[in-house]
Formats: sequence, C-alpha cells, structure tokens
Amino acid sequence: MADTAIPSAIGGSEPAIGRGLKGLLLVAIPVFLVGWLIIYPIIAAILSTLFVDGPQGVHFSTASYQFFFSDPYSRANLALTLWTTGLCAVLLLLVGLPIALYLRFSTSRFADLVQSLAIFPMFVPSIILSYALIRTIGPNGTLDILLNAIGLPKIPSPYLTPWGPVIGLVWDNLPLTVLMLTAGLGSISNSAVEAARDVGAGPIRVFWHIILPRMGNSILVTISFTVLGIFSSFTLPYVLGPASPEMMGPFMLRTFNDLYDPLNAKTQAVISFVFCLFFGLFYVWSIARNQRSQTR
Amino acid sequence: MARLTIESLRKFFASTVAVDDFSLDVADGELVCLLGPSGSGKSTILRMIGGFEQPTSGAIRIDGQDVGRLSPDRRPTGMVFQSHALWSHMNVFNNIAFGLKLRHLPRAEIRRKVEAALELVGLGGYGHRQTFQLSGGQQQRVALARSLVLEPKILLLDEPFASLDQHLRERLREEVRDIQQRLGITTLFVTHGQDEALALADRIVVLRNGQCEQADAPDVIYRNPQTQFVAGFIGQMNFIAANVEGGTFRHPEMSVAIGAQDGPAVLAVRPEALGLVAAEGGAGVTVVRSTDFGSHIMVDVELSDGTRLKAMTSPAMRWERGTRARLVPSAYALYRDNKLVVSGTVGASTAAPAFGAAPLVV
Ligand SMILES: Nc1ncnc2c1ncn2[C@@H]1O[C@H](COP(=O)(O)OP(=O)(O)O)[C@@H](O)[C@H]1O
Ligand SMILES: [Mg+2]
Repeated sequence: MADTAIPSAIGGSEPAIGRGLKGLLLVAIPVFLVGWLIIYPIIAAILSTLFVDGPQGVHFSTASYQFFFSDPYSRANLALTLWTTGLCAVLLLLVGLPIALYLRFSTSRFADLVQSLAIFPMFVPSIILSYALIRTIGPNGTLDILLNAIGLPKIPSPYLTPWGPVIGLVWDNLPLTVLMLTAGLGSISNSAVEAARDVGAGPIRVFWHIILPRMGNSILVTISFTVLGIFSSFTLPYVLGPASPEMMGPFMLRTFNDLYDPLNAKTQAVISFVFCLFFGLFYVWSIARNQRSQTR
Repeated sequence: MARLTIESLRKFFASTVAVDDFSLDVADGELVCLLGPSGSGKSTILRMIGGFEQPTSGAIRIDGQDVGRLSPDRRPTGMVFQSHALWSHMNVFNNIAFGLKLRHLPRAEIRRKVEAALELVGLGGYGHRQTFQLSGGQQQRVALARSLVLEPKILLLDEPFASLDQHLRERLREEVRDIQQRLGITTLFVTHGQDEALALADRIVVLRNGQCEQADAPDVIYRNPQTQFVAGFIGQMNFIAANVEGGTFRHPEMSVAIGAQDGPAVLAVRPEALGLVAAEGGAGVTVVRSTDFGSHIMVDVELSDGTRLKAMTSPAMRWERGTRARLVPSAYALYRDNKLVVSGTVGASTAAPAFGAAPLVV
C-alpha cells in the first residue's frame, strides 16, 4: 500500500525505470558528498597504512599495525580509551536514566528546572567546560577552598588523572543521553505504567518489569551514540587527562604534530575507526533485530 | 463482595476544581455508571478511587476501610483504562499473569486462573498471542481479564470502549454486564455516552462540573430528571423558555396551566410527549423537517421566537415542510434555575409524579 503510494505521488504514471532514476538524482548530491568526503578518505587512509614507500618502491606491509600492537605505550593508550569509553557509558546510563525517569513521570514544577539544568551542558563549549572543571575540582579549586574553609583536607584532584576526562565527558554527554532516554520513555504510556501499579507492582517492579524491557532500544541507541562520541573525543581528554597514557584523540594529534609521524598517526586513526565501525555495526544490527521482532 | 463509600470527595488541580463535594454509596454487586460531559470530573473520581490521584479532601472507604492514603498497588481495586494500557513486550498470557506472579502464586495455579479469565472474556486459547496481534476489542477484553483475574473488590472502568466502533461497543458492554452480574462484582463504569449508561447501569450518577446532579436508576433518571441539565443530557428533550403568569406557562404557541409561582421558567417536553395537530390558517408552528425512522417520524418544528422543537409522531401521518401545526404536550416538567419546580401530565392532575410516562401521542 505505502510502497505504491509514495512513488506514484512523485512520478505519476512514468515507467518504473524513470522513477528510479529520478530518485537517484534526488539523493545524488548527498551520496556524492559522502563518497568524496568520507568514504574516499577512509579507503585512502587504510591503503596508505598498508602500502608504504620503501627503498624498492611501494610495497604491502603491516609493519605499522604490528608496531602499534606490540608497542606497550600504544596498547596502554588504546586500553585507556576503551576503559574511559566503557566507564563513561555506564556512568551516563546510571546518571541519565534517573533524570530521564524523573522528567518523564514527574508532575512537579521542578521538572522544567531539572530539564534546563540537564540540557545546559549541551550549550557549553568543551573548552570552557574543561576550564570550569579545573577551577572547580582542580588543585586549589573551589571545592578545595570550600573544604579548607570548614577545616577538611583537600581532595585528591582528578585533574590530570584518567578520572578527569571521565568526569568531563560524562558531564558533556549527559544532555544528549537524557534527551534520548526521555524520548525513549515517551513511548511508554501513562496507562501502561498505571495498569502495572494497579495489579500490584511497586515503583521498582514497574521499572524492572514494565519500563526497562521497553527501553532496550533507546538505551542501545543512547549507548551507541555516546560511545562513538567519547571514543574519538579530543578536547576534554587533551585538557583534563594525564599525559601518559593518553586517549586516542590526543595520542593521534601528538603523533602527527609533535613526532612528525603521519604513518603511525594514520594507523592509530584506522584502528580507532575500526573500533567505532564495530560499535556502529552493533548499533545497526540491534536496531534491525528490534524492528524484526516488532513486525513479527 | 464489597461496598464502596465515597464521602465529600474534592479534588483541585491548581485552580481548577475537578471534583467538588462528591458523595456516593455503591452497594455490594451494584453497577453504577458515572455519566457526564467531557471534563465533568468522571475520570478524576475513578482515578482517586484507584489511587492514581490524591483527593484534596474527603474519604474513600471500601467495606468500611479507609483506602484514601493507600498507593494503587495496595488497593483492592482493578482498573480498566481507555486504551494503550497493555504491555506490548508481554504476550496475552503474561499480561494477565503479571499480577498473579507478583503475588507469588504457584505456576499451575497461575496457568489455571489465567485460562479461566481468558475463557470468561471469550478469548480462550489466545494466551500465546502478542498484544499487537489483537483487535481493539480483543485488547480491551484482555485488559478486563487482567483486572478480573486478581478478583478485585471494586472494578473500575474508565470509558473502556470509547475508542471502539458502535457495534463492538454495544456487544462488549453487554458482555461486561453479563460478567459483572455473574461475578457479582461491585463496579463503577465511566462513560460520556447516555446509551451506554442506560443499557448497563443499576444506577446512573450524572455529573456536571465535578458535582453530582442526580443519582438514580436509569428509568428514574429518564422519566424524572431533577435538574434541567439532566433532562437535557439524557435522551432527547425540548426546552421552551417563557414566563409563568397567574398559574399558566405562557408562550405564544404553547400555554400550559401549571402550579408554579410567577416568573421566568423553562418548560421541558420529551419528543414522544409532544403531539402535533394540523392548524388552520397561518396560526401555530412551522414544520421544518420530518425524518422517517420507520417505527416513528421525527418532526422538527420552529416556533415564532426561533426555538426548534422535536415531536415524535406516528408514521400514519405525513408532515410536509412548511405545514402549520399546533403543539399538544401530554407530559412536561418545569425548571427554574436548573431545579425542577413541577412536573405533570396535561389533562391530569399536576401532582402526577411520572414524567414522560404518558403513552405516545399519536
Ligand atoms: N492532571 C490534571 N491536571 C490538571 N487538571 C486536570 C488533570 N486531570 C484532570 N484535570 C481537569 O479536571 C477536570 C475533570 O477532568 P476529568 O476527570 O478528566 O473529566 P472527564 O473524565 O469527566 O472528562 C477537567 O477540567 C480537567 O481539565
Ligand atoms: Mg475521562
């Protein structure tokens, strides 16, 4: 029904081939741009790390990858990036889900205020956010001053430790997380929740048996998006993170800029890309699986 | 087996008064319909009984026990919502079994109870279906089974069939009535459709602006409406506004001797109590339209002041558009400030209590 309705609305009674061409023309520009600005550089980067200039001209070599995976420092950077990404994803869910639940089900006037506060970081540039965090929880920051004023010892500052980027990234990604989770919760009707209360489920059981099972999709989407962003993040780890080990973003920049080593920088980029591709494929796969189970 | 008592219930939403001093007693096994226009506070009352809204003041008692402060999961009530209340990630069986599982019943007993509940609502063997594989009517049956399987003391239904088509609605409400009588379960049914209320209820409570206008058996509500609002809300009703002077309701086209004090008032006459007689010359009211319903003809007439009235006449007599006619009321009620002043039948004593009980004027 819908299949036939849409093309006929555009193409009238033209033959199918003509209509197909018209459709292709409509998407030609975006497809071309994607090919030119995204697909081509990816392939070029992959090829240039595998076919390198040697004394006997260009030849196939996996040396740069072998170096990456045998070099303890590179592996530590990758591990730190994965650790930060995973931890941030878990923390974002733990922090974002209660906020989203509150925003979805609260009828109080404070909901609007909470919403504005939760969305606020979205409009703060990362660099400003970084300095704000340094001023607050950095050495001799606001927190230390306050603690000092009431006679307590200073905190061990997370600034320049792996926890620095974690705190910054969670804060920075919270708005998107909350927005996506709230949107997911929107599909759960009030009466579905009330019906569960009615048959005897308390708030925790409602969450566990009614809300969570229907949140699967939006949690997956949320995690995929935040994980992709955090894995390749730059500013926050660069400013807040430790010098060694460092996350892949700063690592790439330093390899390229300070060490003048484009081959290894590109290798690091390809490896980061493969990880992100893996997350992306997982996302697409889970969405497709969910859609299939819904139209079963 | 339970008795529901509501005392002086009030609910304010910010500055809106949703329910205002509402009291009601529902006897064991009784089916009471809350009937009223949209926004009259029906759902709010039901939701306060179910525990989904906190009353601003007043008491709700079930078998004498005050449940007003209990959360919904602790109340012996079962609610069927208008729609979208099934859990789409569970199949039909699990939807119904959920409440029983929360009560940690043995597996075999859950299976037996769920199957019995499905049989009860006419969906035997549908347990393995997904909820989105059901039609709207079947979904509401599952919702009903889900509530009934827990054997609540009070069953609450909030316009459960409002989103279904007419035929299905009629069939389902008969089934609900059957089930309710078989189980003898005390039931409160919210509807804005008078047909539904008249067909289902042991007693109808007519609501308006959060207040009870009248609570009576369907036939009493229909024949003896205590307020002008109820008279107009249930069934079809003609209203004619004029003055009472010297014991007579005086309108150029309809004068009725009436035992009421002088002053402005509204005369109410049901179409079936309003007869038409052909008038000679240019006198009388004008026939605007006549609609043949087979068993009777509904004739619309226009008064000289522009008021439109409906008269139900016998199919034996044809009324052409433009014809002049004289109005012959056989039963009436007189309202002033929404309150009933007097009712009676023409030609009989005005003290006669029954309104509309007169035979069709043919
Ligand atoms: N959650 C709410 N917040 C504010 N006002 C409400 C709320 N629920 C109902 N109301 C108001 O209370 C009145 C009665 O509503 P309701 O009980 O839903 O009426 P009905 O079910 O008879 O259509 C309406 O004026 C409605 O706007
Ligand atoms: Mg309602």
